Amino acid sequence: MTRKTSFNIKISGQAGEGIKSSGLILARALTRLGYSVFGYSEYPSLIRGGENTYQIYASINDVYSQIKLIDLFIALDQKTIINHQSEMNEKTIILYNKAKFSLPKISLVGQYIPINFTEIALKAGGSPIMGNVVSLGVVLTLFNLPLITLKQTIAKEFSDKPAKITEINHRMAKAGQTYIDNHHQKLKINVALPNTKKKRIIITGNEATALGAIAGGLQFFSTYPMTPATSILHFLAQEAKEMGIFVKHVEDEISAINMALGAAFTGVRSMAATSGSGLCLMAEGITLAGIAELPVVVVNGMRPGPGAGMPTWTGQGDLQFVLHLGHDDFPRVVLAPGDAQEAFSLTRWALNAAEKYQLPIIILSDKYLAESDYSLSPFKSIYENDRFNFADKPSINFKRYSLTNQSLSLRSIPGQKNGIYCCNSYEHDEYGLATEDPQLRTKMMKKRLSKENLVINDLPLQLTFGAKKGKLGLISFGSTKGPILEALKNLPNIGYLHLNCLWPFPKNQVIKFMNQFEKLICLEANATGQLANLLKEQTAITLEKYLKYDGRPFYPEEIVEKITKFVIAN
Amino acid sequence: MKNQFDTHILPTWCPGCGNWSIFTALKQALAKNNLQPHEFVVVTDIGCSSNAADFINTYVFHGLHGRSLPVATGIKLANHHLPVIVIIGDGACYGEGLNHFINLMRGNHNITVLVCDNYLYGLTTGQYSPTTIKGTITKSTPNGSIEEALNPLALALANQTTFAARGYAFDLSHLTNLIDKAINHQGFSLLDILQPCVSFNKTQTVAWYQEKVYKLKTVFKTKPEAFNESLRTDKLAIGIFYQEDRLTYDREDKVLQKGLLVDKKIDKINIGKLVEGFV
Repeated sequence: MTRKTSFNIKISGQAGEGIKSSGLILARALTRLGYSVFGYSEYPSLIRGGENTYQIYASINDVYSQIKLIDLFIALDQKTIINHQSEMNEKTIILYNKAKFSLPKISLVGQYIPINFTEIALKAGGSPIMGNVVSLGVVLTLFNLPLITLKQTIAKEFSDKPAKITEINHRMAKAGQTYIDNHHQKLKINVALPNTKKKRIIITGNEATALGAIAGGLQFFSTYPMTPATSILHFLAQEAKEMGIFVKHVEDEISAINMALGAAFTGVRSMAATSGSGLCLMAEGITLAGIAELPVVVVNGMRPGPGAGMPTWTGQGDLQFVLHLGHDDFPRVVLAPGDAQEAFSLTRWALNAAEKYQLPIIILSDKYLAESDYSLSPFKSIYENDRFNFADKPSINFKRYSLTNQSLSLRSIPGQKNGIYCCNSYEHDEYGLATEDPQLRTKMMKKRLSKENLVINDLPLQLTFGAKKGKLGLISFGSTKGPILEALKNLPNIGYLHLNCLWPFPKNQVIKFMNQFEKLICLEANATGQLANLLKEQTAITLEKYLKYDGRPFYPEEIVEKITKFVIAN
Repeated sequence: MKNQFDTHILPTWCPGCGNWSIFTALKQALAKNNLQPHEFVVVTDIGCSSNAADFINTYVFHGLHGRSLPVATGIKLANHHLPVIVIIGDGACYGEGLNHFINLMRGNHNITVLVCDNYLYGLTTGQYSPTTIKGTITKSTPNGSIEEALNPLALALANQTTFAARGYAFDLSHLTNLIDKAINHQGFSLLDILQPCVSFNKTQTVAWYQEKVYKLKTVFKTKPEAFNESLRTDKLAIGIFYQEDRLTYDREDKVLQKGLLVDKKIDKINIGKLVEGFV
């Protein structure tokens, strides 16, 4: 009998029912069993009601994204069954609580199994809300998987609570297992167990970003809450005391960026995080970093816009904005991590590079990356950081913005003897004092812009996947990496260039990739093909645009379908 | 150099501007405190008074319009041993930057805020500001301004400031003393300094101030008394209105309590325990 090597589980219901939290416990339990796991959630901008979903794609091989077709669906209300019909087929098992609601009176796809989780919980001595934990025991048993790691995850989850809480939750999981063993043996699906001792962690893009910042020597974090960046603030605020990092929720985004710059001026590594609207507010402050040559890292968690847009959905519509953010010209770096591993390593890199090159670095994330659960090898524990370009012993007549020789001039910090200078938002001379002199202005502008020539040699290598050459190559940036890698499993002849650095533009690497393929398609989650437009501007090559801007991530199945059709037609 | 706090640049203020006097008072106060030029930080905003950034010999951050308060706060939080003095105009502090003024004050960040209050926007050539008296004709209000003037001292007193004072540019010794007190106060110090603008303000002239300004004999013992005085517009009292002791932000923050942020070493960071949490 063939065992399934991968399976897709989805839980769906109203907000306030603990869907995300119980889903995450399941994801952790599966990760501990050795599966590679990807957790994806959708929710409206509400505290109660609406529809929340959480889905887990698990495999004995590496997975990179969510997929559409569901194997097991737990429906917590009637409407959700209607909403997700297109994700089911005749093999899909749908569990629902007959006591709470009846099936919708439309033609339905799949096998509908009534299970009263609440009743099972009560019978086993628990409270109604523990029906969630019962359902987790049910899920694992339906896949013929042991409960051991679920129990471990539950124990860890409640490790700071009295032991009886863990004990009762274990009992709930066991009750779910017993119920399936007694009533639904025939329903069980045989899945392959992972044959690996590989330890994995499960972490969101935001958590990885925050960890990467900590590893990169973050000392100061000032921010204003905005979905989907907010959990970076929550995580850092929680760990601040332990890690000795100063975290401040400030009165607005303008304060956030300016406060971070004051701290940077004083010698401290600073970061702020926001979403598109907040980044608009931070724009002037970022130009200040540009002209005063101050290091700062700003994380932009993209969501659909413009205006308030769709707060809890995903998109990649800010690329052209950040490339041109602010008035007049100044050097910057724009990064776009593709997954949690890159979110960690690029943020760490950014904290160091911002200080080294004395400029602002913008990291483009999005709701999909920020809030999805990625499984990966644990990050190592110890990170070493050098300090860059500080004047150790400034001498009298110190020129902070010295024009002699190089793009980079050493900087002093307040309190240092002989290091006095003016950190100026006006155009300035070598001491930082305001100037309107035409020659000085031209020289200073050149000095600042020339820093990009240094950074470009220090950028992370842009990665390619799939076929090395052929009829069709795909290019994208940021979090579309996951769905594309997943799709490539079924597109063996296609090549793919993943860009996680957009500026300074890695021209040579891009052109090298483009030259290997007859045709090129650019996939991105915005309405105008902002990456495709950047590529055309920089390489003079026009790419086909494959755009999706409905607030949802790309799905591997739709990519496979569309690319296959394209190859046939061309 | 005339004195240790002067740069080689002669101030560009108009003859008769109150900033000359305010600048002198500041330098005298700094000297009184035995501060070396590199031992403190001045943060300026955008405006005539803020051009002091080019004239004062110390670490200066010449920031964006209205944003000097968050910058000053960031500097203080990064190194709370450094005295931080803000030079900001009424337009910047009570207009563009009002949100920062109101919210940062509540945290009692230990910074000194010298507001050079000339009742209008000088550098942009004479538009009205939040402290402009209702009905004043300016370049941007040719028919007379409609808004009631903002009352900075009343606002600050109602909003938990631990030090509220008003000064007058042309009483040099009194102002020097006020600046000295403001710098030494542990907490958020607001010093609103009245000054004429010889180029653009035809109302608040030296003669006008002569009529209105009078010295407080003592600091008010209670906030309501201070608040009452701050509501007066017939007379403008100068002196410290109110002062109280309250823990500064850095004394209450769990991380800053342990030491200076700028001294925290980042050469070796251990995130092992955090990573374990994600297993």
